[in-house]
Amino acid sequence: MSFAYLVRRVVTSIPTVLFVAFVVFITIHLVPGNVVDMMLGTQNYLTQEQIDQLYKEYGLDKPLIVQFGIWLKNIATLDFGTSLRTGKKVINLIMDRFPVTLELSVLSMFFATIIGVPLGIVAAVKRNSFVDGVLRVVGLIGLSSPSFWVGAILIVIFAGLFQGFNIFGYVRLKEDFLKNLQVMFLPSLTLGLMLSAQIMRMTRSSMLDALQQEYIKTAKAKGVSHSKVIGKHALKNALIPIITLSGIQLGYLLAGTIVIENMFALPGLGRLLLQAVNERDYPVIQFVVMFIALLIVVLNIVVDFIYTLVDPRVELR
Amino acid sequence: MKKLLVVILAVLVVVAVFAQKSGGRLVIAMETEPVGLDPHLVTAFASHRVLENVYDSLLKYGEGMKLVPNLAEEAQAVDPYTIVFKIREDVKFHDGTPMTVEDVLFSFERILNPDTKSPAAAFYQDVESIKAIGDNKIEFKLKKPMASTLLPNFAGVNSSIVSKKFVESGKNLQLETNGTGPFYLAEYVPGNYMILKKNPYYFVKDQPYLDEIKIVFMPEEVSRVAALKNGDVDIAKINEPLNLKQFPEGKFKIHRSPVLSYYLIGINTTRKPLNDPRVRNALNYAINREAIIKTVVFSEGVVTGPLNPAVQPWALLPKSFDEYTYNPAKAKELLAQAGYPNGFEFEIVTSQRYNFDKVAQVIQAQLAEVGVKVKIDLVEWGIFIKRWRESDFDAFISMNSGSIEPDIQFYRTFHTGGSTNVFLYSNPRVDELLDLGRSTVDITKRKEIYDELQRIIVKESPVIFLYSANQIFVSSASVENFKLLANESLVFLRETYKK
Repeated sequence: MSFAYLVRRVVTSIPTVLFVAFVVFITIHLVPGNVVDMMLGTQNYLTQEQIDQLYKEYGLDKPLIVQFGIWLKNIATLDFGTSLRTGKKVINLIMDRFPVTLELSVLSMFFATIIGVPLGIVAAVKRNSFVDGVLRVVGLIGLSSPSFWVGAILIVIFAGLFQGFNIFGYVRLKEDFLKNLQVMFLPSLTLGLMLSAQIMRMTRSSMLDALQQEYIKTAKAKGVSHSKVIGKHALKNALIPIITLSGIQLGYLLAGTIVIENMFALPGLGRLLLQAVNERDYPVIQFVVMFIALLIVVLNIVVDFIYTLVDPRVELR
Repeated sequence: MKKLLVVILAVLVVVAVFAQKSGGRLVIAMETEPVGLDPHLVTAFASHRVLENVYDSLLKYGEGMKLVPNLAEEAQAVDPYTIVFKIREDVKFHDGTPMTVEDVLFSFERILNPDTKSPAAAFYQDVESIKAIGDNKIEFKLKKPMASTLLPNFAGVNSSIVSKKFVESGKNLQLETNGTGPFYLAEYVPGNYMILKKNPYYFVKDQPYLDEIKIVFMPEEVSRVAALKNGDVDIAKINEPLNLKQFPEGKFKIHRSPVLSYYLIGINTTRKPLNDPRVRNALNYAINREAIIKTVVFSEGVVTGPLNPAVQPWALLPKSFDEYTYNPAKAKELLAQAGYPNGFEFEIVTSQRYNFDKVAQVIQAQLAEVGVKVKIDLVEWGIFIKRWRESDFDAFISMNSGSIEPDIQFYRTFHTGGSTNVFLYSNPRVDELLDLGRSTVDITKRKEIYDELQRIIVKESPVIFLYSANQIFVSSASVENFKLLANESLVFLRETYKK
């Protein structure tokens, strides 16, 4: 990958991130009910004057576009804002929460891959057999089960079967490695199971495609062993769509673990965002979403880079 | 010799009892997380639950919601215009500095300062002056004769006493705490947990019994249930009574108590046809409250009138209102009188939290039986609040926090132009009674005033009162002395211990 390519990718992604930031800014401000409403709830105790004063203090009395401009200017000077409700710096909140979500996403991806890819290969190799049929049905069930349901079932099963297994009570990786892995096990498995269904289906179809290629026939004719044909010749060529899918899914995980984080009481980014939306804590929402947009951009560049490693014919220019 | 033995035995028993009570760590699972830590600013329920154990107010609620002294040794309504507090002299803040009258004065100045924007400022708007008398007394002079109605406000978290030195040193109370309460905040990991530790300076001897409380935040009920069963937590809030079946007696304890907060249908009294009191009153007759309690909370609740039946001597019991006996025939009759013999249609706006949506569905079915068609508009909570504040509804279903003081419960809700009178209700007689009730000291006279007020409110029904649901906690059998209060406060954690 050339340095020029990297610079070009970064520069071209700036408008994307800005656009996301703008859309989120406008949308969240257009949703009825603002931070002052949420603060007062149904216990209105302030006079209209005091309420107006609060709007002014939070800068909510200015036109939206001006507010957006001020926010952008602050971002440019590395002032990422302060939570209106808790008084904490948004950047600190994110730095606190992101490692949890990152770990959850990586572990989920790990489960998804170790389950999805082998099963996909088996399904492709044993195409239209009984095993293939079973795997396809299981995959379909996996695709259509909502995460909150799978999570709840897993919680019930584990709480009943394994007394003493740490399902809850998140601790940081560096504080207590074993406990951390125990606590992360179920949520990652929940997400991983669901993603594995997609990965399995993609692996199956991509492998089927590869297995019908001429070079596979050639390899077989040359007397290359069955496992080598599958493992080296077919799989490696089938990997590109799987990597693309995994990249997209990892992005989805980083942004979309809200439900699972809530269910397993994990202090991740998703839960921070949900809480901020519920409280209409604008600075938190805006920067968390922009942060996620940035992550996805970076992730895409990384995925492109991985292509070059897997398939030397791909060149990033 | 025998006597000596008895004495030794008695001493041993006492020691054993105390040894049993003290120490230990309690893990409690809560649904929501505090939003901010400044006691003068917080409005979130979850913030109050934590801060009432970290900070103290001049008064507090004891068992049975009785007001008892706290940082004030004594509180006296000298006359209807004057309250004098005698402040305890043996109290220290968590940082070890002694609490003085100066700190008390400073706390109220901070509350009343418009720049602070404390919700408590509204409670004290009729305070004319606050001054120290000597070095252990404080006097509140009021503009209106309302000394006794003001007292419950001094027990709230929003009226906590903070350290003048601490605040003036530039500390941000939203992020750091320094109270006088039984526990101090030792650690807070947002989104995860909070650790409260025993305050060694706490002024009540031997309290708190626990060394440490860990509050973990678990938004999902299924997680709280599993965590309790798994032994990850000692005690948890349970919202869905159906889940209680999962906790066998002997291994677990179920703690339940009635609460002051109540479910209600609020009605916009300016929109047709609900602007006609007869129509609103007809709805009262057409609603079967017992059926709602049975269906929605599996009988874990009580029917409530304008005041919770437990708020004595003020509350008129629901039975004393004809309207509270389910009577669809009477409802139809009233509707016919008002010119709607075939019923009418209106919209109820509500949100999907605390079972509001389920209550709405039951009411929809019940009103259909008298020919009234209800359209339910289920909206996000933020949207609900906006529509609530702007009176943008035919009717809504929600929950209000109640009070043991009728003035606090009724004044701003039913007075013309009151800050929570989103029903746009206005009745000169009601206004008059509210003002009278606020300034009357004689209990018999005051009771007459509030009796009349409650009757008018039920008759004219700007609000249809439904029920109060029990609050339920489940703990492992080893948790002792966990007590609940009707205002849903957890101040009794200071007396809780583990066997």
